[in-house]
Amino acid sequence: MAEVRLVDIEKRYGSFVAVAKQSLTIENGEFLVLLGPSGCGKTTTMRMIAGLEEITAGDILIAGERVNDKPPKDRDIAMVFQNYGLYPHMTVGQNIEYPLKLRGVNKATRQQQVQDTAAKVELDALLGRRPSELSGGQRQRVALARAIVRTPKIFLMDEPLSNLDAKLRVTMRAELKHLHHELGVTTVYVTHDQMEAMTLASRVAVMREGRIVQLDTPRKIYAEPADLFVAGFIGSPSMNLVNGSVTAGRFRAEGIDVPVDLPDRDSVVLGIRPEELDIATDSSAPVAGKLYALELTGDSTLVTMRMGKTSVCARGPADFEAAINEPCYLTPKAGARFHLFDRNSGQRLDG
Amino acid sequence: MKKLLTWWGERALLVLISVVVLFPISWMFLTAFKQPRDAYSTSLNFTPTLDNFVTVFSDPWNLGSMVMNSVIVAVVTVAIAVPCASLAAYSFSRFRVRGRKFLFFLILSTQFIPAVVIVLPFFLMFRSLGLLDTRLALIIVNLAIVTPFVIWMIKGFIDAIPTDSEEAAMIDGASRLRVIKDIVLPMAAPGILTSSIFCFILTWNEFLFALILSRRDAVTLPVGLVSFRTERGDLWELMSAAGVMITVPIFIMALLIQKHFTRGMTAGAVK
Amino acid sequence: MKERTLSYTLMVPAFLIVLATTLYPLAYSFVTSFREWDLTKQRRPGDFVGIENYVHAASESGFQNSLWVTTIFVVTSVIVTVVLAMSLALLLRREGRLHTFTRIILILPFAMSPALIGVSYRFMFNPEFGVLAKGIGAIFPALEGTPWLASPDLAMAILVITDVWHWTPYMTFMCLGGLASIPRETEEAARIDGASNLRIIFGIILPQMKGVLMVTAVLKTIFALKMFDQVVTLTGGGPGTSTETMAFFIFNVGFKWFDMGYASALAWILTAIMMIISAWYVRMLLSERKMATA
Repeated sequence: MAEVRLVDIEKRYGSFVAVAKQSLTIENGEFLVLLGPSGCGKTTTMRMIAGLEEITAGDILIAGERVNDKPPKDRDIAMVFQNYGLYPHMTVGQNIEYPLKLRGVNKATRQQQVQDTAAKVELDALLGRRPSELSGGQRQRVALARAIVRTPKIFLMDEPLSNLDAKLRVTMRAELKHLHHELGVTTVYVTHDQMEAMTLASRVAVMREGRIVQLDTPRKIYAEPADLFVAGFIGSPSMNLVNGSVTAGRFRAEGIDVPVDLPDRDSVVLGIRPEELDIATDSSAPVAGKLYALELTGDSTLVTMRMGKTSVCARGPADFEAAINEPCYLTPKAGARFHLFDRNSGQRLDG
Repeated sequence: MKKLLTWWGERALLVLISVVVLFPISWMFLTAFKQPRDAYSTSLNFTPTLDNFVTVFSDPWNLGSMVMNSVIVAVVTVAIAVPCASLAAYSFSRFRVRGRKFLFFLILSTQFIPAVVIVLPFFLMFRSLGLLDTRLALIIVNLAIVTPFVIWMIKGFIDAIPTDSEEAAMIDGASRLRVIKDIVLPMAAPGILTSSIFCFILTWNEFLFALILSRRDAVTLPVGLVSFRTERGDLWELMSAAGVMITVPIFIMALLIQKHFTRGMTAGAVK
Repeated sequence: MKERTLSYTLMVPAFLIVLATTLYPLAYSFVTSFREWDLTKQRRPGDFVGIENYVHAASESGFQNSLWVTTIFVVTSVIVTVVLAMSLALLLRREGRLHTFTRIILILPFAMSPALIGVSYRFMFNPEFGVLAKGIGAIFPALEGTPWLASPDLAMAILVITDVWHWTPYMTFMCLGGLASIPRETEEAARIDGASNLRIIFGIILPQMKGVLMVTAVLKTIFALKMFDQVVTLTGGGPGTSTETMAFFIFNVGFKWFDMGYASALAWILTAIMMIISAWYVRMLLSERKMATA
């Protein structure tokens, strides 16, 4: 167990900057998720921690020790890869045993630990099989078992669930969370799936174009996104973002007129989450447009309406029905939060 | 109707191709089992005999020593070229170091150099070193042809192996060399085997070097064929018997690795 | 050990082999090409004579002839091989027992020793008892007794045939590889749009095979430029000098007449030609890769 500190780390490929001078401290025992779209530098950051990628500048400290020049094998980490990275020519048992073998653990202890670990992830019946004879979920477990068979200082997980089908992903997610609770090992987890990030993380670092744009708890990131990018990235369906301007304490855009607490200003983006909007019948409601589409999700209906070029989505009751292309009205729920951003810089204006 | 015609047409063409491929080979095999007088007729009505094989393995032809030369030259060439090439291929495939591209193209481009250019200086060097007509000389020159080719081929195979397992092993605590031994070699084994057989075939069939650098002691099978051209004319039945000896081991090898063979020899070239 | 050091260390053995067996002899023969060195007269290397050997090549009829022979050989064998290989690949890409069988046996000609191929074709085209000469005579009586290998044009044709027989399989496999990498959807879309088989081949498949066909042609050109084995065992360069390819001619200059200086110069001229074509080839490979990753 250990704390991981990244100090002004940077990664450049020629003139291309993959990670731009970032600092980040991952607390002991924390589950930190690096979240962002593909190409944002999250995997590169993790690979630098692992030692699979050289760092162009800066320092990486694991448990207070500078590891910049240490090869991966000397960093005492374990990693789960997106494609699992199993050893196809070894059996499941040998796969799990390999890290112990490399560390010179004696045979009897090795066997015992392989058994224990396999039992923990329900692989005990499959120890003699080859990876090619396993299903995706089972392979995932082997990768996991190989990582937890010894107790490393940190766990690194690179999109470990992305190759599983939707249902299995949810089960494995819960298992991972439970496992982290059991072992309490510092974990760095890379994903592009905001739902995974929200559910797993103790803290999330949202990355974009090689920079960390927001680092906070999932709750805080959802409630108070630091900029337009985070606002649009977190939440499903994503936050409604409407261009407009503020005059005399009111935000106005086509079909929208709401009171806000902001001095007069142009180029403002108003954000409101679909789950904080209610369907209204009254034509004096602050949001008015034409109904564009209705999508039933089971427990609710997503109501999309259009006003000119902008569209706004609301989460309405499951039994809501209305005619397409007819006028439609929305009103913010009580206690709903408006998020205001500067349209040019993307920065949050309030709070 | 039209469909039936194309169906039969396609089959007929395939049969024709097979005949074109197999006929020259079969004719050689048949001739190898013919009496001399039958060999000089196109008749298929003959009593098969093993006499020709007995003859070529005895004086003055001594095909046995040629087989020996061919085997030793090919095996040693493979034994030197493949391990060296495998290491280099791994390095070229996995490390992004300075000058890597340049070195790779340098090695690759030597493959396109005509053998005659290389054999001239080697002839002169071996002559002054007294190495003419030795197997060692043949092994050295064959390495020139085979090594770049095998590097290219094995690199193609290693490139196709995802790096995940290697990275996993490094994180699990293996050094690079350990990774190569424990992970890369087992995973690349089919490719390395294929390349070895390919390399064996190239060396086994090599003609130009052997023709120039051997006289009596180090003569290999393909060059041995020429010795059946005598003042009495070409001894076809003996040539055919020798031909069978050259062909059979190679055919067996080629057919054994048929699947990898086609992939291996085209992977590098197209991709 | 640092990764970088290890990386270079792994290359060292192979690089030493290439250095010793290719680059050094190459340099040696380059130097020799500027010397006068008749091995029948002197054991030690002779005097430097500047570019005299190269000047001699420009006017010497034997070399001119070999240049011409090689050109004809390369052009015909490349065209025939590539066209045949592409056609075979189109025929063989489907699944089926006969298809698989044919694909498998196609390996045999490629695995066969070229010297032996020359020998067996020489045998089969023997006008007195060769099975092909007799067979052709039986079908076309007018051709009975044709001295196949004694006529310059026919000898060249047979030389090309042996080479085509040897190389078409390899090139077919390359084309099959190329065909396999074409996304199936384009062909299926064209079929649904109502295109005929011929239109699909010429309008959809061949345009996408352009890159692979170019690579195949260049590679075949490089192999054809080295043509040597079958010349020795099939025609002996004859009749006369009508099938003396460059490689064969250089061999004669060096090892029949022992004129090392001149042979080296000629070898370097051949190398230069090959180098130009290979450079072109490598550039094509690179741009192919760019297209593939785009």
